[in-house]
Amino acid sequence: MEIVERIREEARKALEEKKVELIIGFEEGSLPLRTTPAFIKSIDAVERLIWNATCENNLANYLLRLKIKGKVGIVAKGCDARSIINAIKERQIERDMVFIIGVPCTGMVDRKGIKERFDEAEILEAIEVNGQIKVKGERFEGSFNISDFLYDSCKTCTQKTPSLYDVIVGDEVKEREDVDEFREIREFEKKSPDERWAYFTREIESCIRCYACRNVCPLCYCKECFIDQSRPQWFGRSIDESDRMIFHIIRVFHTAGRCVDCGACERACPMGIDLRKLTKKVEKDVVELYNYKAGIDLETVPPLATYKEDDPQEFIK
Amino acid sequence: MEEKVISREKVVTFIDTLIGKYYVFAPVKKKDFISFDEVKSGNEVYLGYRNSKDSPKRFLFPQSEVMLRYEKGRLIEEGPFDYGKRVIFGIRPCDIKGFSLLNKVFDNHDFRDPYFITKRDSIILIGMGCREPQTTCFCTSLGIDPGSSDGADLFITDIGNKYVFQILTSKGEGIISEYDGFNDAEKADLDMKEKVSEDAKERIRTKVEISGLKEKLDGMFEDPFWSDLHEKCIGCAICTYLCPTCHCFDIEDETVNDKGVRRRNWDSCMFPLFTLHTSGHNPRESGKERMRQRIMHKFNYFVSYWGDTACVGCGRCIINCPVNMDLRKVINNINHG
Amino acid sequence: MNLDEVDSKIENWEPKIIAFLCNWCSYAGADLAGISRIQYPPNVRVIRVPCSGRVDPFFIIKSLQAGADGVLVSGCHPGDCHYLTGNYFARRRFTILKNILEYIGIEEGRVNFSWVSAAEGEKFATVIKEVTESVKALGPAKRLIKRFNYRKL
Repeated sequence: MEIVERIREEARKALEEKKVELIIGFEEGSLPLRTTPAFIKSIDAVERLIWNATCENNLANYLLRLKIKGKVGIVAKGCDARSIINAIKERQIERDMVFIIGVPCTGMVDRKGIKERFDEAEILEAIEVNGQIKVKGERFEGSFNISDFLYDSCKTCTQKTPSLYDVIVGDEVKEREDVDEFREIREFEKKSPDERWAYFTREIESCIRCYACRNVCPLCYCKECFIDQSRPQWFGRSIDESDRMIFHIIRVFHTAGRCVDCGACERACPMGIDLRKLTKKVEKDVVELYNYKAGIDLETVPPLATYKEDDPQEFIK
Repeated sequence: MEEKVISREKVVTFIDTLIGKYYVFAPVKKKDFISFDEVKSGNEVYLGYRNSKDSPKRFLFPQSEVMLRYEKGRLIEEGPFDYGKRVIFGIRPCDIKGFSLLNKVFDNHDFRDPYFITKRDSIILIGMGCREPQTTCFCTSLGIDPGSSDGADLFITDIGNKYVFQILTSKGEGIISEYDGFNDAEKADLDMKEKVSEDAKERIRTKVEISGLKEKLDGMFEDPFWSDLHEKCIGCAICTYLCPTCHCFDIEDETVNDKGVRRRNWDSCMFPLFTLHTSGHNPRESGKERMRQRIMHKFNYFVSYWGDTACVGCGRCIINCPVNMDLRKVINNINHG
Repeated sequence: MNLDEVDSKIENWEPKIIAFLCNWCSYAGADLAGISRIQYPPNVRVIRVPCSGRVDPFFIIKSLQAGADGVLVSGCHPGDCHYLTGNYFARRRFTILKNILEYIGIEEGRVNFSWVSAAEGEKFATVIKEVTESVKALGPAKRLIKRFNYRKL
């Protein structure tokens, strides 16, 4: 049975047995290479659920954002499941209030990457067949292996099969052990402070402060974000270089030991800012310093909520 | 009305001529998108674009604008400041329409915003007709023609090997006279121009039904429709910040030590903070009320106040939404639900 | 004239350093340095905090935005925290923050940390000397300062 059939079957069962109030999954989007989050509340609507290589949103976000009474079913990829684990650990949701339909994921297709292949021409149609994406425009056609056009976060993913689920649909995907997920960060660290500053100021220059990176992130559930605080107002909301940069510094600081590198922030950014260059650095430090990866299990204490007497401290005078 | 033509190559020299006399802003390639930015040479300009990622509204209504500067509690300097003569080269008809909608808000019988007006009066708009609209474009549904020169000082139509420049105002006339490489348009050029704009219009197949929408929305404030609509919205400001018509702002004083500025920053109805009262009460408590506000403002309130719809059909909110919320679908659902 | 030019025109420039000192150890250490008449550079502005664990990254970043050329955070030695574990938690946060700041391009030496006990008046003076020298060597801070570029749109 195809994955999509099994998702629908599990969703139908869960709704029929009144196990859940609603199922959060994906449905057909309105643009080529897009799907959109779906909120399925009735059995008739289950048919709307789909599954393909463009189901890129991290649905765990909605568990925290929507104030849903009752139990919620959710279609979760590896990264979504890691975000759910995080949310449970941080006491934002209760394990028994969420019914996880785990989907082993082979990676999501980088729609911007495919679009770039055709320059300014518009893709009018895209279909997925056997691990390939066939796209059509007015004067062109193309076919791509999905595996060649994955999002960067998917390329370095080490948790494709959800580690937490109630049911799992589809076969486990072999996790890659040969990926060096921090290679790019190490390369970047070798640059001089001036070069790094120049790089980030150039990236941040296009930030329009729409806060899509924050809002799309399953970690950002604070009732009031630091940037919105007005008593006192810590930081400005202008597009000054300093204000913009500081927003990103503190945002990324707040992801320390929590970020699962689902890549949602970078995909959401309308201005194409290299946000993973920041989050990945913090992820790397947390792994190297405190040997912690977020969203792997429910037990290990998050790194900033604990300490060791012999934590590294060479930098302290 | 007068029409001039110029060859493709010469347009670069024309832009170079302008650069010496004005601040010229034109579409340039940035990473994987196009944005209006100041150009220092005609070669930087990219005219083969469909439309820019962000709306050029920021030239009249900047994202962050300093209104005044103070020190030790005393006013030092007050705006609007002089930003010089600016030329916006290659702005699309939908975005020019956006300017005229902003104009209704910032310059009307009750209220004249000097910050907006100063910039509007010192700006020269060189519009450019569309050749290849996108499938997300639905300007014709809003009564905008992709070849319309309304509101521009000069209007360019790309007819293949040449550009036709239509002179619409004395400001436009002045700009043309800066450069002697123009020829008078011949009948063949004008026929071609006509054809190009007809073709562009033809290509916009997405239709959204706007007539009757306002009336329909009149009775929908309490409709259950809104309680589901917002569910997938994550509440970011991409749609409002990229929109050519959204114009909400927040004024704040920013003080460091004893110096500071009063600044006007864009704000968005999609943020909870937008309506948060000092008391802690928030009349637009959830995404439901905020999404309703956005739709209502565009298609109902704005129509009541200004007799026009606050949407130009550019499709930016559709293309850029991280969760694929499609305004066309929303409108269709209102019409048919 | 922009701020960069202003900075370079200032002769005999002296750095401004904000020091967040914990009440129980480092602040007392500073006191001891004073009582013992140990000389140290006058470039620090001290802000007393209950514990190094109280130092939110906001404090450090806000200092840099407001124009501080350097920041020092100082608390009790590990194991000596008045609140038992405040400095242990702080240490992890500071490590992450310092790494981020240096990664984006804030020069090493702008943001500093130390453990100074109430008995270490001598050490306090040494730390201040070291920090002042390192910040002086870096010159006036230019990154993250709010400029109020009101003319630029």
